[in-house]
This record gives sequence, C-alpha cells and structure tokens, in this order.
Amino acid sequence: MYVYRLMLFLVFIGYLLSPLMMSGWATPDVAWYRPFIIWGVLIALTLWLEQKRKLDER
Amino acid sequence: MNASLIGMLGVGAGFLMLLWLCALAVERGWISTHITRHPLVYVLALGVYASAWAIYGSLELAATSGYGYLTYYLGMAGAFLLAPVLLVPIQRMVRTHQLASLADLFAFRYRSRWVGTLITLVSLLAVLPLLALQVQTMGNAIYLMTGAASPATLALAFCVLLAVFDMTFVGRRQRIDGQHDSLLAVMALSSLIKLLAMLGLGGFALFAIFDGPADVQAWLEGPGQAFQSSVVQTDPAHWRSLLLLFFAGLLMPHIFHLVFTETRSRHTLLQASWALPLFLLLMALPVPLILWAGQRLGVDAIFDTGYLAFGLSESLPLKALAFLAGLAATSATTLLIALALSGMLTNHVFLVAHPPEAHHDLYRWLRWLRRGLVAAVVLGGWLFYRIVGVHHDLTSLGLAAFVGMAQCLPGLLALLYWPGANRRGMVAGLVVGVGVWLSGLWVPLLTGLPALAIIPPGLEALSGEPAWYTVTLVSLASNAMVLIVVSLATPTSEGERAAAEACSVDAVIRPKRLPLEVASGEEFKPHLARALGESVARREVDRALDDLGLSPLDGRPYALRRLRDRLQANLSGLMGPSVAQDIVDRYLPYRQGGPGATEDIHFVESRLEAYRSRLTGLARELDGLRRYHRRTLTRLPVGLCAFGEDGELLMWNDALARLSGIEGSGVVGARRESLPAPWNELLGRIIAEPESQLYKHPVTLDGTTRYLSLHKAALEGSHSEPGGMVILIEDHSEMKWLEDELVHAARLASIGQLAAGVAHEIGNPITGISSLAQNLRYEADDPEVVETTEQIQQLTDRVSRIVSSLVGFAHGGRHLAGRELVAVSIAEVVDEAIHLIHLARSREDVRFDNRCSREACVEGDAQRLLQVMVNLLGNARDASGPGDSVTIETVPEGSGVRVSVTDEGAGIDPSVRDHLFEPFTTTKPPGEGTGLGLPLVYSIVAEHHGTLDVESPLPESEGGTRISLWLPRHQKEGERPR
Repeated sequence: MYVYRLMLFLVFIGYLLSPLMMSGWATPDVAWYRPFIIWGVLIALTLWLEQKRKLDER
Repeated sequence: MNASLIGMLGVGAGFLMLLWLCALAVERGWISTHITRHPLVYVLALGVYASAWAIYGSLELAATSGYGYLTYYLGMAGAFLLAPVLLVPIQRMVRTHQLASLADLFAFRYRSRWVGTLITLVSLLAVLPLLALQVQTMGNAIYLMTGAASPATLALAFCVLLAVFDMTFVGRRQRIDGQHDSLLAVMALSSLIKLLAMLGLGGFALFAIFDGPADVQAWLEGPGQAFQSSVVQTDPAHWRSLLLLFFAGLLMPHIFHLVFTETRSRHTLLQASWALPLFLLLMALPVPLILWAGQRLGVDAIFDTGYLAFGLSESLPLKALAFLAGLAATSATTLLIALALSGMLTNHVFLVAHPPEAHHDLYRWLRWLRRGLVAAVVLGGWLFYRIVGVHHDLTSLGLAAFVGMAQCLPGLLALLYWPGANRRGMVAGLVVGVGVWLSGLWVPLLTGLPALAIIPPGLEALSGEPAWYTVTLVSLASNAMVLIVVSLATPTSEGERAAAEACSVDAVIRPKRLPLEVASGEEFKPHLARALGESVARREVDRALDDLGLSPLDGRPYALRRLRDRLQANLSGLMGPSVAQDIVDRYLPYRQGGPGATEDIHFVESRLEAYRSRLTGLARELDGLRRYHRRTLTRLPVGLCAFGEDGELLMWNDALARLSGIEGSGVVGARRESLPAPWNELLGRIIAEPESQLYKHPVTLDGTTRYLSLHKAALEGSHSEPGGMVILIEDHSEMKWLEDELVHAARLASIGQLAAGVAHEIGNPITGISSLAQNLRYEADDPEVVETTEQIQQLTDRVSRIVSSLVGFAHGGRHLAGRELVAVSIAEVVDEAIHLIHLARSREDVRFDNRCSREACVEGDAQRLLQVMVNLLGNARDASGPGDSVTIETVPEGSGVRVSVTDEGAGIDPSVRDHLFEPFTTTKPPGEGTGLGLPLVYSIVAEHHGTLDVESPLPESEGGTRISLWLPRHQKEGERPR
C-alpha cells in the first residue's frame, strides 16, 4: 500500500507544481521539448511504481 | 487542391465501413482473442478521450495559451496515475454490482432512481457542447477539404451517416449490455489511426517544414518570437483549474463507460496508468509543431488556428491525413457518447418513467429503444451545434462541457471517501453547482446572452477572470459546500448507509443470510416472468445459472441467494440498478417472519479468496492466517462439519467428503434437512441430543454397517460471533470390528478351558457309566432292564460326543502347531465327509452333490479339514428337507480356492446369523445340536489362514444357505494330494 500513498503524494505535488513546467514556452533559454521530456520521465516513474506494486502484491 | 464532396463522403463512409468490418472480424472470431484482448487494445481504446479537441481544439488553445493546451492531456493522465486509489475502487464497485454508467453508480450509492435520472440529465446537458464540438469540427474539416456546400449542411450529412452506423452497431451487438471486444477493437482502431495521422502531421512539420528539433528551437528564438508575443501565459490558478476540469473528464459518459464497464481486469486498468499517459504524450507532441509550422508558412492568416494542419501543404494526401485524424477522433467519440448516453437515458429516464412490463420480447424492445436514442443523441449534437452557431471557438464549447461534467465530481468523491454524505446533500449540491454552470456558461452559450455571473461576496476579485474560470470555481465550491452542510444537517437512511459502506474504498462487505421464498432455481422463472415475460425470464435465469455453474434444481439457500444476486446484477446491466432492484425485491422477495439475518460467512470467505491478490500488508498476513486455519480444518483427518445458527451447512471437510462420498461443494450452503440420507438424520440426531457425543452409532453406508462416533460443540461465543455448531465425525468401524474379534477370541479361550475341564471331569465317569451299563445289559435278561441299559448307553454316547466336541474345540487353536501343511484335495475330503455322514444312517433322503474340481488343492491338514466338512455337511443335511440336495463346489479365487456348501433349507434366522460362530449358538431343537460345530469350523479355517462367509437366504431363492470357505491354494509344484 505504501506505493499507492507514494503515488498519491507525487500526483498531488505534481498538481501543485505543474504550472512551473509551462514557463518555458518559446523562451530562448529553454528547449521547446522540455515539458515532454519531464512528462516522459513521469511516465517512466509510473511504470517503475507499477512494477514495484506488482512485487509488493506478489 | 480540393477534394470532391463525393470523394470526402466516400472517405467517411469507407472509414466507417472499416470500423464495421473490424467489429465483424472480432465478433466472428477472425481476429485472435490474444490480439483483441491484449492490454494494448484497451489502452488504445481509452485514447477515445482524445476527441476532436485533441486534433483541432488543442491547436487553438496552444496558439492562445501556450503550454496551457497540455492541461487537456495532463488532467486525464493524472486521473490514470491515480488508478490504484481512484479508478480501481470504482471499477471494483461497478463490476460487483454490474453498474454500467455514472448514473447507475450514483443511483446505487444514493439509493434513489431519481438521482440516476438527475445525473443522466446533467450528463446529457454537459455532453451536448462536446458533441457540438465534434460536429462543428467535422463540418469545417469537410468544408476545408471540398469547399462545397455550407459546413452546417456537411455536418448534417456526416451526422446522418454516423447515426446510421451507430444504429447498425447497436443492432450488431448480441447483447446490449456487458463487455464487448468489438467495441474496444473499433475504438482502438480509431485511436491508432488518429495517432498515426497526428504523428505523420507532426513528423511532416518537424522534418519537412523545419529541419529537425534544432531548427525549431532556432526558429523559436528567432523569427518565431514575433508569433509568440500574442501568447498569454496561463495563470497558475487557471492551469490548476483546467487540470481539475480535464481530470473530471473521467466522468464523461463515454469515458466512464470505457474505463469501467468495458475494462477486462484490474491489471489492465493498472497497465493503463502509465500507457494512457504515454499515448496522450504522443498525441500532444505534434500539436506545437503543427502550430509553429503553420505560423512559419504564414497559413495562420488563411486558416482558423484549429485547422492549420490543412494548410501545411497543398498535397491532398497530407490534407487527407489531417482530415482522417479528425474523422477518427470525432467518429469514435460520437459513437461512444451516443452508446453510453442512450444506455443512461434508457435505464434512468425511459425505464423509470415506464417500468418494463412483460413484453413479448423485452430484448428487442430495448434494442430498438436504444437505436432510437443513439440516433437522437447524434442528431441532438448537430441541433445543438446549429443553435449555438459557429461563432463560438472550440475552447468555449469544450470547457462548457467539462465544467458541467465536473459538477458530479464532489458527489463521486463523497461516494468513495465519505460515507456520511447522503442523497439530500448530494442532490442539493449538484443542483446548486449545475445552476451556476447553466447560468454562467451553458445558457449564454446557447442564447448568446451575457453570462449571469454569480460571484459570492468577498470574491469580487473574480469579476475580471474568464467566465469559465469563475463558473468552475464558484460552482464546484458551492456544490461541495452545500453537499457537506446538507449531509451533516439531514438524516441518512438505512439503505444509504449500507450502500455507502459497500461503496467505501475500504469497504468490508458483510452479506447477510436470509431465506428466499422460492425453493429452487427453476422456481425463479415463473416469478420473474411476471415482470419480464416468460422467454426473457427463462433466458435470464438460465444465463445466471450458467454464470454460477449451478443446477436449476439446486435448492440450497446459499445457491439461491447467489442466484438472486447474479440475476439482480445481470438485470442491472440491462436496465439499470434501480429497476433491477425493484424487480428483484418485488418478485423474488426474502421470506418474512423467519429467523433473523446472520452473516454469510461462506460468501465472505469466497470473496476473500477472489480478492486475495489485492490484499497487502497486515490484511494479507491476516488472510494468510485465515487460510492456514481453514486448511487445517479442511485437511483434518477426522470428518468435520459446521452449521450456522439458521441450520445452514457452512463447512464440510475433506475427510467427511471421503467418508460420506459427498463433495463439500455440493452441500455447503444447504440446510441440514436437505442433506442426503443418512446424514440428515444422523446430524439431526447429534444436534438434538442433550449429550455432546454419540458413541459408535451404527450407520449403513453403501450397504455396509459402519460405526461412527460424533462429537459436537456450540460455536456461540461473545455477541459479535455468529452462533452455530461444529460436529466432529470419527469412523470407529475398524475399532469396533477389532473389539468384536477380541470378544470372540476371549470367549473361545474360555470355552477351551472349560472344555478341557469337562473332558477330564466328566469323561472318565461317563466311560464308567457306559461300561457298567454294557455289563448290565449282557448280564440282565429282563427286557425292560436291557432297554433301559441301551438308553443309558445312548445317553452316555451322547454325553461322550459332547465331551469329544468340547475337547476338539479346546484343542482347535493349538492343533496345527508343529504340523506340516500338505496339499489337500478338497474333492477327496468332501467325498470322505459324505461317506462318514452316510454312516450315521440318518436323513438318508438328502442327496449330496460333490461338484468340486479334482484339481483344487489347498494347503492344510486333511484331518482338520475333514472335521470342517463333516460339520458343514451335517449342518446342511439337518437343515434340508426331504428330497433336497446339498451342493459342494469349488471356485478358484485369487491365490486360493473358494469352497461353498449350499443347501435348500429354510435359511438362517437373521437374529441368529450374526452370532453363528459364537459357541453354543444353534438353530437345531434342544438336545440335537451342541452349538460348537461352527465355532470349531471357524477356528480350523482361521488356523488355515482362510475366511468364512455365510449367505442366507440365497439371493436367487427365498431360502437356502451357502457357507463358503476361502482357503489358500497349495503352491508347491508336483506335490501329490494327501
């Protein structure tokens, strides 16, 4: 169950901090694909948590 | 370069035909279920969320709000990230209670059919702008492709085509409820097409218009700056509100239907928790590229921002790609919205207003109703689009829909996490929230009137904010507050409290055991026929019986309760939970006036078994302990059964199943009285017995008498524990037989000692008396004296015989000691015995028929076996009537020979038969038998390691007796008999 709590916490933090992600729209110092990279990392994290959950429930 | 109108309609019809063929291929099994049921198909099907908004609306939003367009994707991705804590509990509830929609879920939780109706109407109102968005984009897309006719007319043509397809699709589905591979496959195919089309457009923009990612960056930092100046960065508060709204997109009828009703398993849903965000990422990635490519080409001045993809190239294939992406998105969204909404309207509006009567063909009636509603929903979307007009941007339409649907969010969260919420609170909150939404967004959208801003005192700062933001904030806040306040202020009904417990995330479902009025599965049919008609009732009951694997004649209360629950769940899938519950409560009621409800432990246990993989931590440890104790009881080498307070059988372990030959699965849940004989009577007796045990109770099982010892203990404990009784059943037959053997042996031993004494003490005087009588006979002349002496001699002979028998019996156990066993021909022994019998010159009218095989040789002592045969033949002769025959036969059997002596007499009295081999048991008149012959035979046969059986009367006739001996065959080769 600890994985669920961790996921809940991460999603809530993500919800609060997500506006920071958009600050880079068309600004010279930030690559245009940065939000997608962050998003991709989050997906990888979720996949990892999903694997952890499977192990936890085995 | 424009395409022809006919060509575009042909593309549309071809696409729909492709979907139709896909559905057909899945239903006919042309595509392997390994493919159609792969989690990837489900994830792609979930991609239906990316509607026309994702194709065209996102471009519009990206142009004005920059990365703000991502909220559409991130909101839903966030909902799926929360799958284990949010989606899985809802999925469990939906599957357990066969709920097909959000309205079903609300009606179930808040225990009111009118709640379902309210949710359905809110969904309808909320979905209309979203449908209008689909219709508008498709009309515009066809117009951009062909330039023929007006977008509205083109949209109507598209809607008609789609309505016909949807109606055909409803007709194709064999059942109008439940899971369907074909629907998922069609949705997945649409998503795949739109994903590939979007990636194609993005790739074209990135590599054909720009020169890779670096060139995009260079353009953004250079000439692109001019275009970005018009972008208004999304305020963080707006961003969070948008995320919340798109998170609530989960409640859209079509998304809810796909996520929960069509989900195959919890595992699939958890797979989607990362796979759907990945799909949405791939859908979102091309959006800025298409926008910037359009701006770089300068086509943003010619095309509306949403349709920039059409201006990226003059090439028809590329335009077709933009068109196809939109077509796939709008078709799938419209189809699924129409299907989901028609189901909700059927169950919560039409069936509530007109409850189903015993229609001749209920299924057909429901199917046509659904078809009509599907067409009405699609055309309703077009009508809304016509009324709204084309002056609204896609963002306004989309947001109006999502804000409306978000009004159900407080009710849903309360449903999951706050059992204290009640119907009044939920309805009051929803009405207030929907009122704010209607007046602030929906009505102004429809009428063009200015929004009626309801800004509470103290929040005047909101007056400068966009209408959607103000309405979202005010409506959701007032909705939640009213829900909480009214719920706290008003009482909650008992039914709601029970439903709240069932819906709670940490629900512990504690079903009760109540007896039903019907007595078997077959009896459900006439009861249900009164509500559903005969054929539908028959099909539904048979289907439920099939689902549960039960027999129609199964009368176990447990099985009947499961059948009732399954029927309610199946009917709920067909007509919604309210109507299903009404029907079941009315036509399949529980028996009134019976014993109070008790907890259904067996059901709880089977649920725990099913949910085992979901348990973690302490709960899993406890379940492991439960399973250990359960296994201990099940595998106990002593029979064990347990009854509930109401007399229902709760446990029947493996040892008892072996002893009784009755499997536990067939009797658990049955009442004690309905158990097969002799168990019903036996268990009833121990339950009624004041003593806590029955010792060595004889029971006939499979024609054999067995001796069972039963012990009982009451299960009543503290108040929280259920009552009942546990009964242990031990098979003591072997012990009883051994005891009998021991008694027999002890009796033989005592008779042996007695015989030795008698032989010694009586033998000598009797010999003396006999000698004296003989002397007297020779010396006396008086005939009377001679006769008397003859009588004395006869009587002393008789006494001598008795003494001789006793001596023979006493020596029985020791006779063979030290003697070598030789081959004995049974036929010769029988011949000699017959000869000896004939010497007695008594009952010469009885014929002896020696049919023994001359080859049959046994291992033994010929003299002792002769003694056996003389006894058996003598008994047979005495039992026979005049002219009867006594037959002696041999039959090889295993490693020995069976010798049988059969007479045609009257047979042996059953009361004597059981004691036949006990000393002094005789069927002969007093003075004629000593009662020692057969015990002697028994001893001699036992000495020879043989067995003795008695059959009387014979099965082939009314009388007669057959005594058969089994003796080991002589094994030594070449040994001559005797």
